[in-house]
Amino acid sequence: MNQRKWREWAISLPSMGWLVFFFVLPTLLVCSIAFRPRSINGGIGEGWTFGTWLDVLQPSYPLVVWRTLWLSAATTVICLLLAVPVAYWLARLSREARNWMLLLIILPFWTNFLIRVFAWWSLLHSEGWLKHTLVWMGVASPDTQLLYNEWAVLLVLVYTYIPFAILPLFASAEKFDFGLLDAARDLGAGKLRAFMSVFIPGISQGMITAFVVVFIPALGSYAIPEIVGGPQSEMIGNKIAQKVFVDRNLPHASALATLLALVVLLPVIYSIITQRKQKRTGGTKRQ
Amino acid sequence: MLVSIGVMVFLYAPIVVLVIFSFNDSRYPGAWHGWTLRWYRQLLEAQSVEARDIWRATRNTLSVAFCATAISMVFGTMAAWAMHRFKTRLQSAHQMLVYAPLVVPDILMGISLLMLFVNMSVNLGLTTIIIAHTTFCISYVALVVLGRLQDFDHTLVDAARDLGANGFSVCWRILLPLLGPGIAAGGLLAFTLSVDDFVITFFTAGPGSTTLPVQVYSMMRHGTPTLINALSVIFIIITFSVVIFSQRILQKRDTTHPHI
Amino acid sequence: MTVKVSTIKLLSGLAIGAAALLFSACSKATPELHIYNWSDYFAEDTIRAFEAKYNCRVIYDVFESNEAMYAKLKAGATGYDVVFPTSYQAYMMENEGMIEDLDLSKIPNAANIDPKFLKTVALDQHLRYSIPYMSGTTGIALIADKVGDYEQSWNIYDRADLKGRITLLNDYREVLGAALKYLGYSLNTTNPAYVAEAGEVVKRWKANIAKFASDEYKPGIASGEFYVVQGYSGDIMQVMDEAAEDTQIDYFLPKEGFSFWADDMVIMKDAPNKDLAYAFINFMHDPQVAANNMEFTNYWAPNAAAYELIPTELLENPMVFLSDEQMEKGEQIIPLGDKDRIYMDVWSKVKSEE
Repeated sequence: MNQRKWREWAISLPSMGWLVFFFVLPTLLVCSIAFRPRSINGGIGEGWTFGTWLDVLQPSYPLVVWRTLWLSAATTVICLLLAVPVAYWLARLSREARNWMLLLIILPFWTNFLIRVFAWWSLLHSEGWLKHTLVWMGVASPDTQLLYNEWAVLLVLVYTYIPFAILPLFASAEKFDFGLLDAARDLGAGKLRAFMSVFIPGISQGMITAFVVVFIPALGSYAIPEIVGGPQSEMIGNKIAQKVFVDRNLPHASALATLLALVVLLPVIYSIITQRKQKRTGGTKRQ
Repeated sequence: MLVSIGVMVFLYAPIVVLVIFSFNDSRYPGAWHGWTLRWYRQLLEAQSVEARDIWRATRNTLSVAFCATAISMVFGTMAAWAMHRFKTRLQSAHQMLVYAPLVVPDILMGISLLMLFVNMSVNLGLTTIIIAHTTFCISYVALVVLGRLQDFDHTLVDAARDLGANGFSVCWRILLPLLGPGIAAGGLLAFTLSVDDFVITFFTAGPGSTTLPVQVYSMMRHGTPTLINALSVIFIIITFSVVIFSQRILQKRDTTHPHI
Repeated sequence: MTVKVSTIKLLSGLAIGAAALLFSACSKATPELHIYNWSDYFAEDTIRAFEAKYNCRVIYDVFESNEAMYAKLKAGATGYDVVFPTSYQAYMMENEGMIEDLDLSKIPNAANIDPKFLKTVALDQHLRYSIPYMSGTTGIALIADKVGDYEQSWNIYDRADLKGRITLLNDYREVLGAALKYLGYSLNTTNPAYVAEAGEVVKRWKANIAKFASDEYKPGIASGEFYVVQGYSGDIMQVMDEAAEDTQIDYFLPKEGFSFWADDMVIMKDAPNKDLAYAFINFMHDPQVAANNMEFTNYWAPNAAAYELIPTELLENPMVFLSDEQMEKGEQIIPLGDKDRIYMDVWSKVKSEE
């Protein structure tokens, strides 16, 4: 038994040690810095204080928090709405066609993330061909700016996170038994009803995963609102970066970061608790 | 079906525009000024300061990616093995530890690592970037390898043990070869994520240690944005070739060496 | 067992690749000089000429604002030899003990520096810790035919018809300073009420701007994306040269007042290569080099010997060499010590609130 224990520790130690030192420790450090005052020259001062938290609870921040939440939520909803039909279609293709289509869908995302944001920035450029086409069609005036607002941010967010939605949904759809749909149709359900009442619940695991892998990273967006957003479409990420790099107010930045971490952890903790409850009551929930 | 086509168009539109405008005879995005190859020439000749900076950033990006991938492949595989093999309380904690970086937004990781380095008075440079990248790569490698391990046939290990093989032999001759593709897949994922990373690198980079995404970001603001278009096309061509090439190899291996 | 062999090959390939790249990235066969400067601040071949003369490599990192540069340096980005802060920032860095006191015997070309500049503009008159590099003004540039009739005033930012097509700098002293000047106050005031009033003005302007941009305004106005930008004189002149033939870009100094400034060269206390740093600063004040830089950047390099080497149009260009009456209307941004907090706090509020 002892040798087994020793072996377990030996194998686990490198990764655990690394993650504790370079992940857990820094996170705790950030939380602790949030309780320190700012020093005059922009560093971290001595002593402990709640002053930074009072600063953060200013009237202007809830707006940024709210904007972050609604942009992330909107992104998630749109991604899901687009990804579910795509996953359905993919799952019904033949194996070969499916592999090719998956490759085609993933391929654009082999370009560097920042280059993709840059591509949208130049596409939406106020002197670009898209803008000129819209003006020609009479939809826009020569002075409109497609960039530097919330809609540009939402558009690029959706673009960035769609593959994260498609993949888990497809993984679920692949395992779905399409015979169930036929059965529903035989029992008289219309196409849409069958889709909504049988397919959607059938891929619920995929939907939950898709929700988590889109919503949570979206909350921490920085580059996208920085590049295609304007001063009225800033998210928490931008504020944190501004506090670190421009205002040089590290405690304030840490407080914001801790706030973001809490917002992110809440759904995770909630899901852990509900999973534990499920295990205890035993068996699956009734649909 | 219609939605799917719409989504595909949406996915490819900016890439297509990116490629076309790499031939635009204008320093800035926007209006079309005619066809030219001068941006490709400028990049490939690597004479101008901008071009030299781009290639230096590319070298940095690749160094960081290779190092981070190598370290995380080792640590991640060990983590996956531990989590799979031992079902103890330690491993539950280990699991939470490994899964956490996957859910945390990069800006949080970026700022916390920056604070750590500031507190320890460590100089920012390529090393700090490598450390940062390794931290999130370990989790991805562990995840992929763990997935492969779940389909793993343990009777092979037991058989080898019965035949007298010791721990090391088992590891070297059975585990690694069979897990090879899984580890390679994890490594590939880690490599891609490292090359792609912007936010964490932005926070932890030091003098002269710019990586490609950071360089692209600064070129958008001052410099010649159209060079980025040309650079992207070059990279797209390289990536596509690598993908097609590796697909060919995998297919060949499939047909000549059946799975065990 | 071919699977095993290929896995080994993969791993060893990776290891060799990593080692090779790291090695090539780390090999210090040629000495390196690390510069941290604003963007587009050297003539095309200045860097290359220096590299050739001193047989070294120059790595030129860029920052957008004094605050961002200061934050990066404080966060532990060591390894820079020469940094180019604006004078008030250099003063603050000197107070923090971040920069080296200069040994002027290693900078013989400092004798070329214009004495009039040292008396009237320089904050470090005796060149104790900094050597002036370039001086310029901050004003407003615009694309004439998109704006129509305009007053040469800061109130152009109140024009709702230009909404989404104008930018302000992402710099708290410059922007709050502009608002302070618009209201008739000094841009170095320490009266919190005045600064708060300026903050309200900026909030009003913020509704019309596309972005706070300290760098992107250059490609922005050159490509016609922005019609009105707050920018630095020399950068605007560079853009004027590069913009499309049919775009006419005008630059003016608002009648209520504007800021003028000087950027200095300093050597960091922990600079890895101090000798090369001294050589570089000395090189910048070689008359021909200073003249080249002036011609390219369109800023005023206070190097008396270089004045004879630049074309007369440049010498007579009011954007580069201001007349005395114009200088009266301008004000230099000076360091405020701990009163700086007032501006920072107002700026934070402006950035967050609607």
